[in-house]
Amino acid sequence: MAEQPRLVEDHIRKNKRDTVLICMFMVVLLFSVIFAIGLVLNAPPIVTMIIALPVSLFYIFITYSFSVSSVIAAAGARPANPQNREEKLLIYKVEEMSLAAGLPTPKVYVQDSHDINAFATGHKPDDAIICATAGAIQKLNTEQLEGVIGHEMSHIKNRDILVMTVTVGVVGAIALLAEIAIRLLFFGGGSRGNRRDSGGAIILVIAIIFIILAPIFSRLTYLAISRKREYLADADGAYLTRNPEGLAQALEKIKADFPDDPKGSKTVAPLYIANPFKRALRDSIWSTHPPIDERIRRLRSM
Amino acid sequence: MDLLLIAVILLIVLIIVIILLVFWGIYNRIIRTENQIDNAWAQIDVQMKRRADLIPNLMETVRGYMKHERGTMESVTNARAAIMSAKTPQETNDASNILTGALKTLFAVAENYPDLKANQNFLQLQDELTHTEDKIAYSRQHYNDSVLVYNNTIETFPGNIFANWMGRKARQMLQVPEASKEVPKVSF
Repeated sequence: MAEQPRLVEDHIRKNKRDTVLICMFMVVLLFSVIFAIGLVLNAPPIVTMIIALPVSLFYIFITYSFSVSSVIAAAGARPANPQNREEKLLIYKVEEMSLAAGLPTPKVYVQDSHDINAFATGHKPDDAIICATAGAIQKLNTEQLEGVIGHEMSHIKNRDILVMTVTVGVVGAIALLAEIAIRLLFFGGGSRGNRRDSGGAIILVIAIIFIILAPIFSRLTYLAISRKREYLADADGAYLTRNPEGLAQALEKIKADFPDDPKGSKTVAPLYIANPFKRALRDSIWSTHPPIDERIRRLRSM
Repeated sequence: MDLLLIAVILLIVLIIVIILLVFWGIYNRIIRTENQIDNAWAQIDVQMKRRADLIPNLMETVRGYMKHERGTMESVTNARAAIMSAKTPQETNDASNILTGALKTLFAVAENYPDLKANQNFLQLQDELTHTEDKIAYSRQHYNDSVLVYNNTIETFPGNIFANWMGRKARQMLQVPEASKEVPKVSF
C-alpha cells in the first residue's frame, strides 16, 4: 500500500501543476484580448480594462450561478430511488466514496439513459450532486461502478466544477468581448483615422487578427484544461478506491458501448466521465476528454 | 546614499514579511492537518455507533433460528461490548476489527439456515450491517490518509522544526482487519 499513493501522487501533482499553468495562460489571454481591443479602438487600456473586466466577471458569475440547475435540467435527471435495488447500490457507493474523500455525502441522481455515464455538479463540495445513468448502474459491476463514482467524487473534491465553469465563463467572456470589439470596429470606425504611420497599422492588423483568433485559442485552452482535470480525477479516484482496475474496466465497457441517446446541450459534456457526444471528435484537441485508451493505460500503470 | 539605505530597509522588511507569511502558512497547515485526523476519527465513530445500534436487532432476529450457535452469537455481543471499554483510537479500532470478524462468522454460519435467509428482516439487517462495515472501512482509509498527510507535514522540512516547537508528534495509522486485507465488497 505504501508504494501506490506515491505513484498516484505523482500523477496528481503533475496534473495540478499543469492546471495552474494553463489557467494562468487563460488569464493572460483574457487581459491580452482586453488590451488588444483597447489598441484597436484607440482607447487607453485603462478605459477598456475598467469596462471590460467587470463585464467579464459578471458574465462568469452568472454562468457559474446557473450552472447546476441548467445541468440537471439538461440531463433530465431525477433523484435516485432507494427502493430500487440497483439505485440503492449507487447510493451506497456515493456514501462510501464521500467517506473515503472526507466530504459530506452528495445528493444522488439518476439519468434515465441506456448509455454508461456519470457526472458531478454543484457549487460547493457541501452542496454537490452526483448523477449516474441507468445504463451505468445496470451494466457495471460493483468494482467498476465504484471506480466511476470515485472519479466523480474526485471532481467534487478538486473543485473541478468551479474550475471548469469559471473557465467556460472566461471563454464566453473572451468571445463576447471579441464580438463587441469587431462590431464596434466596423460600425464606429472613425478613430482609425488617427493612425498614420505604417508601424501603427501593422500593430492594428495584428491586434484585429488576435481578437478574431482569441475565442478559438481560449476554447482550445479550455479543452486542454478539461482533459488535464479528467486525468486528475482518474488518478484521485483510483487513490480513493485503491483500485485503478475498477475504473479501467468501466472505461473499457464505456468504450465498447456506443452512445445512442445523448441528452442536453454540449456544454454539459465536460462534466461527464466520458464524452457523450460526437464520437468522431472524441480523440482530438477539440475533445473535452482524453482518449479512452490513454486513460486506461495510465490507470493500469499505477 | 539615502536611496540605497531605503532600498535595503525595504528589502529586509519584505524578506521578514515573506518569512512571517511562510511561518503562518506552515503553522496553519499543521493545525489543519491535525484537525483533519480528528474529523476523520469522528466519522469512524459515527459509523461504529450505527453498527452498534443495529446489532441488538440482529441478535433478536437470529436468536430464534440459530439456537445452537450460542458461541457465534456470544462472540458478537462480547465484541460489541469490548469496544465500549477501549480508550485510544488504536484500541478502539482493534476491538472494532474483532467485531468485524465476529459478524463475518455469524453471517457465514447463517448460510446454513435457509429459514433465516428467507427472513426479510434478517436480509435487511445483513444488508445494512455489511454496508456499515464498508463505510467503516472507507472511514478508516480516510483516517489513515489524513494521518499520512499530517505525518508528512511534520516530518519533512520545514514542518519538522515547527512540529518540534509545537510539541507535535507523528500519529499512528489504524490497522486493517486481519482476515481480509481488502474492503469487503458487496455483490448484489
